[in-house]
Amino acid sequence: MTGLDEFFDYVNSLGAERFTRIFWFFVFFELFRYMVIDLVVLTIAKILKVLNRKKTQEALNRFYLEQPLVSIIIPGKNEGKHIFKLVKSLREQNYKNVEIIVVDDGSDDDTPTIGRDMERNGFIDKFVRNEFRGGKASAANLALRLTNGKFIVHLDADCSYNYDAIQQIILPFYMDSKIGGVGGNVMVRNYKKSLAATLQAIEYYDTISIGRVVVSQLGIYRIISGAFGAFRADAMSQIQGWDIGPGLDGDISVKIRKMGYKVKFASDAVCLTNAPDTFRKLAKQRLRWDKSLIRFRVRKHRDVFYPSQHFNFSSFFSFLENITYNIVLNVKWYIYFIDMVFNFPHELSFILTMNFFLYTCTNYFKFLVFSLYRTEKNTSISYFLAYIPLMVIYFGYYLRIVRSIAYIQEFFFKKSYDDPWNPPKTSKYAKELGL
Amino acid sequence: MALENVKINASSGTIEYLNTKYIYVSQSRDLKIDRSVSYAGIIIDGKNLDFTKMVVKRIRGNQNSEIYLKPIIILNGNAHRDVFIKNLIDGVIFSFDQIPLINEHVSEINNLSKEITIINSISFEAMIVSKLLYFMFTRNLKMLEPVPYALSNTNYSFPFLACNFSDFEEFQVLEMLEIATQEGLFKHKFLDRIYLCSNCKSSHLSFREACPKCGSSHTDTFDIVHHFPCAYVGPITDFTNDIDDQLNCPKCSKKLKHIGVDYDKPSVLHQCKNCDNRFQDFHVKAKCMSCTFDNPVETLVDKEINEYTLTKKGESYALQGYVSTPKDIEDIIGTVKFDTFKTVCRYEVERLRQTEGSSNIVAINIVNAGQFYAKVGSNAQQMLLKDLVGEIRSSIRSSDMITFYSSSVILVTMFEIPTKISQRIMDDVLKLLEKLIQNNFKDLVIEIKSNVHQLNYNLSSELQINQLIGM
Ligand SMILES: [Zn+2]
Ligand SMILES: [Zn+2]
Ligand SMILES: [Zn+2]
Repeated sequence: MTGLDEFFDYVNSLGAERFTRIFWFFVFFELFRYMVIDLVVLTIAKILKVLNRKKTQEALNRFYLEQPLVSIIIPGKNEGKHIFKLVKSLREQNYKNVEIIVVDDGSDDDTPTIGRDMERNGFIDKFVRNEFRGGKASAANLALRLTNGKFIVHLDADCSYNYDAIQQIILPFYMDSKIGGVGGNVMVRNYKKSLAATLQAIEYYDTISIGRVVVSQLGIYRIISGAFGAFRADAMSQIQGWDIGPGLDGDISVKIRKMGYKVKFASDAVCLTNAPDTFRKLAKQRLRWDKSLIRFRVRKHRDVFYPSQHFNFSSFFSFLENITYNIVLNVKWYIYFIDMVFNFPHELSFILTMNFFLYTCTNYFKFLVFSLYRTEKNTSISYFLAYIPLMVIYFGYYLRIVRSIAYIQEFFFKKSYDDPWNPPKTSKYAKELGL
Repeated sequence: MALENVKINASSGTIEYLNTKYIYVSQSRDLKIDRSVSYAGIIIDGKNLDFTKMVVKRIRGNQNSEIYLKPIIILNGNAHRDVFIKNLIDGVIFSFDQIPLINEHVSEINNLSKEITIINSISFEAMIVSKLLYFMFTRNLKMLEPVPYALSNTNYSFPFLACNFSDFEEFQVLEMLEIATQEGLFKHKFLDRIYLCSNCKSSHLSFREACPKCGSSHTDTFDIVHHFPCAYVGPITDFTNDIDDQLNCPKCSKKLKHIGVDYDKPSVLHQCKNCDNRFQDFHVKAKCMSCTFDNPVETLVDKEINEYTLTKKGESYALQGYVSTPKDIEDIIGTVKFDTFKTVCRYEVERLRQTEGSSNIVAINIVNAGQFYAKVGSNAQQMLLKDLVGEIRSSIRSSDMITFYSSSVILVTMFEIPTKISQRIMDDVLKLLEKLIQNNFKDLVIEIKSNVHQLNYNLSSELQINQLIGM
């Protein structure tokens, strides 16, 4: 008998009850949360979008009639080489009433020369330099201080933007006056560069982009991407700008929510970014993101769980969902793993194969079905089909291990305060104050 | 050296010493520069700086070599301390008694002046360069140095050359020197660089840091403070209060304690009081004090200030005169040399003395020639002169002659014709010339004058030509 026959015999012998017992992790979390709920919510979102066509058009008309000034801020260090290309893509935007403010956070390359030159030639409206690096939050806050617009759009210098990206990210503010922040849809530009980049492109497609449509629809969208986010200027001045990072993207969204504003995801506001092209660099990036989840959700903003003047249900559920499906899920997976090792030691190879099979099928199903809901595509979806089976390893093992390491480092050692992403002078204070 | 050898004639304003006659110029007398031709030197009362400068400028800026090469002595006063004047005079005395001290030097200059062959250059540039070469030769100068001079429109002055231009045209001095250097008459050594207003070429500029948006220099400057714990960034005024010197963070209300530890000042920011624009990089603007135009510094015209040394070629041209410009007088058909013209006039005066009758000489003067030539290229200049000569030629009889006294003065003979008719013909010629220039050089305004002079057989032809030109 071949291994394959054995495997099918094993699958046949499983009844529904035993299947659920052995593959509970898949059934309850993966299938239920990430497929059934997603599909239902996506469908609702799609229907609402069609129903709201007239409302959307009216909002667009109001937006264009008012022609508000949109302040685009681009803080960063050593980003001079990207700025010219970025600004060129911004000048192509169909929405023209923008001001572009670049803040150079203590660059040690030729960024000051490039920036000054572009300012003098009217390519950008303002170029301001901090002689001493103060970290991303302070650079963004300095930029914020110089804005005159009704809306603030925060960009990363190494991204590029669809011709209508600004219009799409501002439009939601005209659909609902309670909206205080809107996140853009980030996609991977360099998906062909390496395997790591390709897998991330698929991840951005399914988990991040689709996932954000779903949570946004549910009213629990939580992270306005730093690469592309828009804010009401009055909301920004109420919360007095960004707090010290890393993970300040998530932090600012929470602060806006606490002020009683809604936060939305605009899937049509598309931004292309370069993903880390090696697994090593990717691990570094994800360690930072995952640590910030602990630091900001569990530590800094734990008050959303307590009844207080800022309490509101969507913040509460947003946090709950976030913590459940990240931290708890991560722990549960280990429980599942131990459960299998102790209770089904003889079937382990079958269980592993079956899990792989189930996840891959779901991944294919999701990738293909979700394509129907996607408004923006990088390239033909067929390019990615061959890579889908690898996603099990990418999600199931690689990202999970990285996440586990991050949680442990942050929970027990507050490692994020040592991140060179911030200058030590600022991290030191943030740590003492528990920020 | 005895005082009795110096004879002062108060009524005519002349001083004589050992047969050398000087003319004395002071503010109380009429200034007739033409008169100086017959004197060995000019003594100017130096009490009033402006007056002295004006007289010196008019002498050195004259087109007649017998005037512009004339030795100038300053009497009394402080005028000779002015660097501009100092470079244009040949001596200083404090009383007429001291004339014997400078007399020899004056004769020396006059003797050298006689050695040179004055050639009338047709182009304005060649004429100016020739003047310079003659002046340097008669003063034994081998080098031409710019003098820093606050009253110069180019900050550095080449005084002798500057005399030929109005203040607004002074930048053309540098162009003259560029031409002379290109022609190999001078070697140059870099000394400094100046910046000129792009509108009027003046270097009297006031540099200011201005708001990049509205150009105002009415601005405030703030330190930007970054509070580390909360990442608040804002001008220091956000942190101050009216009660004490304490700095408090407006975001987290904490006290700022120690610069570099819990906060720092990563940059400064300027705020325009005129338009409220906040910015970090000033635009540097240069406001022209001559024409009030506010230049962005990038648009200023930069010029090198050099020190010039005569080359061998330059030295030889100082004796022969500088004619080898592309605008050489011989190129223009229908003209005669100035010397020929003078000879013809001399014969005509002789003839008139015997036969009586009416003969005239006419000067056609392009009043703003310097400005005009500076604006058009040398080819256009040559074309214009050719056309002018052609037009004049077709209005006069074939026996009459045309010559260039200089590139801006054309002399014409109109012999054996009543002065009134001469006058009328000339009026018509001027109208034709003006129309011609208007057609060819649309945006240039040119001013042409003519003077008709009836030859008087009791006076020398030479004198009458000089009078005509001097008018
Ligand atoms: Zn000017
Ligand atoms: Zn201003
Ligand atoms: Zn603070």
